[in-house]
Amino acid sequence: MSSAQPLLTTRPEVQTDNKVATEKLWKVVVWNDPVTPMPVVTLVFKKIFGYPQEKAEQLMMTVHHEGRAIVWSGGQDRAEHYVVQLHVHGLLATMESDD
Amino acid sequence: MARSRLFPRRRDGHVEVKLNGHAREFIAQQMQKVVDADHDAQHPWHSHVHSPMNPSADTDDPLRVLQRQKETASNAELALLTVKDEQLTLVEAWAWLTTMQIALRNHVVARGAFENDSLEGIDEAELSEIRDLQYLLFELAKALE
Repeated sequence: MSSAQPLLTTRPEVQTDNKVATEKLWKVVVWNDPVTPMPVVTLVFKKIFGYPQEKAEQLMMTVHHEGRAIVWSGGQDRAEHYVVQLHVHGLLATMESDD
Repeated sequence: MARSRLFPRRRDGHVEVKLNGHAREFIAQQMQKVVDADHDAQHPWHSHVHSPMNPSADTDDPLRVLQRQKETASNAELALLTVKDEQLTLVEAWAWLTTMQIALRNHVVARGAFENDSLEGIDEAELSEIRDLQYLLFELAKALE
């Protein structure tokens, strides 16, 4: 029986003062605008998040029809990174905490 | 995939640019506006290039703000440097796309049309620039699929 440690570990919780606190979840939101061509939005989602064509298109359509879409959620650092990348690619994006 | 007529993708991965002088001049003007907006705090697009990242926070993380500014500026400058090239690397083609997209969005944001979700109130000359940018972005996106 191997005693090797697992290669991948997850860290969903933080121990503080003998209490278990769940890390806050952050959502990356992309907002609709009246001019950006749809294929550009799909392309940028594929590039930044590595989403397959179908998922990227689905998110793009959600943005188009509902005015916004949550395109990713997770830790704050990565959420900030993704918002920066979406801005660099010319899309309107914000982040919000899952309170 | 060589589906785009204006920006056909070559087998070696490069993107050809089949634009005439007028179109290149138009694109160069748009790229220059993004460069100027980044450098000039008085530029009408400046505040939109530097919009907040996290509206729920009082201030954004300065390192993230700097990262965004550097990437936006270097993309715009790279795009401007290559605007007369006959073919682009993928990195250069992406710099064109991101810079034109930022220009497109800023045309509209600066006119407050995002709030109305319409292009009413934008004059004909600017509307024509918006349509041209949309067409060029649509074509370039096909090359990068």
